[in-house]
Amino acid sequence: MSVLNILCLILWLVVVPFCMGLLFFPLVGKSFRTPAMALTAGYILLFMLLELIGIPVVLLAVYNGFTLFVRLFTPCILLCAAAGILITLYRKKQSGAYIYEMSRAAVRPDNTKREISLEGKIVFGLFLILVGFQLYMAFTQASFDGDDAYYGAQAVAAQQLDTLYRVNPYTGRSAPLDVRHGLALFPIWEAWLGRMSGVHATIVSHTIVPLLLIPLTYILYYQIGKILLRKKKDLLPMFMVVMALWQMFGNISIYTPETFFLTRTWQGKSFAGSFVIPAVIWLFLCLFVTSDESDSSDEFEVLNDTGERKTGFWLLLACLNFAGGASSSLAVLLSCLMSAGFSVLFALREKRFGILVKAGLCCVTGGVYVLLYLLLTHGIIRL
Amino acid sequence: MYGIFMESLVIFKLYTGLKLLLILTALSWVYLLFKEKDKRVRLLLVYAPILILALFLFPVSRKAFVAAGLDGETYYRVLWTIPMGIITAYGACRLFAAHRRIGLVIASALVILCGSYVYKSEYISRAENLYHIPDTVIKICDRITPDRPNATVTAVMPPELIHFVRQYDANIRMPYGREMLVARWDYYNAVYEAMEKPEVVNMETLLEATRADYCRYLVMAEGKRTDVPPEDAGLVLLETIDGYRIYEDPVTAQVTEQWLEYYENEEE
Repeated sequence: MSVLNILCLILWLVVVPFCMGLLFFPLVGKSFRTPAMALTAGYILLFMLLELIGIPVVLLAVYNGFTLFVRLFTPCILLCAAAGILITLYRKKQSGAYIYEMSRAAVRPDNTKREISLEGKIVFGLFLILVGFQLYMAFTQASFDGDDAYYGAQAVAAQQLDTLYRVNPYTGRSAPLDVRHGLALFPIWEAWLGRMSGVHATIVSHTIVPLLLIPLTYILYYQIGKILLRKKKDLLPMFMVVMALWQMFGNISIYTPETFFLTRTWQGKSFAGSFVIPAVIWLFLCLFVTSDESDSSDEFEVLNDTGERKTGFWLLLACLNFAGGASSSLAVLLSCLMSAGFSVLFALREKRFGILVKAGLCCVTGGVYVLLYLLLTHGIIRL
Repeated sequence: MYGIFMESLVIFKLYTGLKLLLILTALSWVYLLFKEKDKRVRLLLVYAPILILALFLFPVSRKAFVAAGLDGETYYRVLWTIPMGIITAYGACRLFAAHRRIGLVIASALVILCGSYVYKSEYISRAENLYHIPDTVIKICDRITPDRPNATVTAVMPPELIHFVRQYDANIRMPYGREMLVARWDYYNAVYEAMEKPEVVNMETLLEATRADYCRYLVMAEGKRTDVPPEDAGLVLLETIDGYRIYEDPVTAQVTEQWLEYYENEEE
C-alpha cells in the first residue's frame, strides 16, 4: 500500500464522515458539539445514504451496478461533507470554537477547563493501551470465519466484476438477486472504499476497516459513559478500561457481540451488535438523560445543559433506524423495536405522549426498510 | 408454547455460556436496581433489559420472529439489545465510586477471571499478508487467473482453500464452494461427490463431472489419492505450490479458449 492509498483511506474513513457529522451540530446543544459526536453522527448519516442510494441500485441495476453506485454515492457524501464544513464555517463562533475546545478538555458553561486528575490520565492511558493492543491484534492476526466466503466474496465481486448481489459468491456463477442479503450493503461499502482508495476489497475489510471500527465503537462507548457518569467524571476512565476488558474477555460463547466485535469486526452483523444497537442506547441517553432539572449549578457538567436543542438526536435516530440496514436486516428491526420500546417507557415515565409520536416518526424509515424486506423475501415484489 | 419457551431458554444458555461473566452482569444489575437513583438511567439499564429478556423468552416473540421471514438461527441476536458490558462497567463504577483504584483492580480482575479471552480462539492465527488469507491461496490464484481482462476460469479447489479463493480473485469460479462444506445445508454437487466423497478418487468419474462444469483447473493436495495418476487420465501438471498440485485439463482448456475467442470477435 502506498502513502497515497493510506491518505485516500484516511480521507474516506475519517475526514469525510467527520465533516458529514458537522451537519448535525446546529441541531444539537452546544455541549454535544464534540469531535466524537461529529464522527459518530457522520457514520450514521453515511450508512443511511449508503442504504438510500444503494438499495435502488441493487434492485434495479442488473449490469454495472457497482459503477453506478459509486457515481451516485460518492458525490452525495461529498456534498454532505461540504455542507457540513460550510455550515460550521458559517457558524464559526458557535460551532468552530466548540470543536477546538472540546478536543482539548471538557468545557464548563463559563468556559473554564475541567482538568483531569493524574490518576485519571494514567487510567485513561491504560485504556488506550488496551485499545492499541486490540488494533495491533486486528492488524497482525487473521481470524477465520466461514461467513467471509459470502460477505468478503460479495465485496470482491462488486469491486472486480462490477455487480451487486447477482453472483453466487461461493461459486461465482450468475444468480438471481439475493434479496435476503441484498439490502445489507456493508460489503458494498467496503468495496467502495477499495475502489476509492485503490486497495483490494479484502485488504480493506480484513485489515483496514477494523482499524476504524474498533476506535469508532469505543468513541461511542465513551459518549455513553460520559452521559452515565456526568456527575462523576473521574470514573469515566475506569468505565472505559472495564469496557475494553469486557470486549477482550466477553468471548463466553460464539454468539456474543464481543466475540463478533474482535473476531469478525469487518462483517455487518458485528457492526450491528457493537455499533448500531449501542447507538440506540446512546441516542436515548442524549435525548432523556443529559438534562436533569434537579441538578444544582455546582453539579452542572458539560453535558448537562437543560433545555438544549435535541432535534438532531431525533433525526439521528431516524437515520440510524435506516442505516442499521447496512449491517443486517435484523439490525433495523431491533433498532426500531428498541426505539419503540424505550420511547414507551420514557413516555410513561415523563407522561409526555409526544415522545411516542416522535419515536413513531423515527421508526418510519426503518418500517419502510422492513416492509421492503418482507415484500422481497416473501416474493410479493419480484425482480 | 412450552417447547418454544424451552428452546429460547436453551438459546439463552448457549448465548451466555452460563459463564461467570453473566453472574457479574447480574450482580451489577441488582446493584443498580437498588442504588441507581436516576430514574431515566434505571429505565434503560435496569427495566429495559429485564423486559427484553422476558420478551425474548416469551414464545410468541420467537414465533413472530420466524414468521417475519427472519432466520430462526439468529434469534439469539435479540439478546444483543441487552447491554451487558455497559451494565457491568457502569455498575462497577457506581459501586467503587469512593474507592476508584481498588475498584478498578477488582473490576478488571473479575472481568478477566470470569470471562474468556477472545484471542485464544483456534480460528485466530498470525496473518500471512494484508489480505489475511493464506499465502498459498494467493500463489495458486495468481497462477491460474486468466490473463485476458473480464475473462473467468473455473477451478476445483481443496476444501481447506475454498473459503479464500473468491475473497482474493472474483474471476476464478468454482464448481462448488462453502455451501458444500456445511453438512446441514445438504446440497448436492457432482464434482464434489467425485472429488471429496470417495477415499480414492475415480479419475474417469471426476473428469466427467468437471468437464460438464467446464473446470479448466483441478487443484489437489499432494496426498490426494487417485485410482490412476491424473497425468495418465489426460491432465497436465502445471506446477506444485506449497504441497498443492495444479492440473490443467487440456480438453476443457480448448473449449473455454474457443469461447473466449468467439466472444472477443463478437465484441470487435
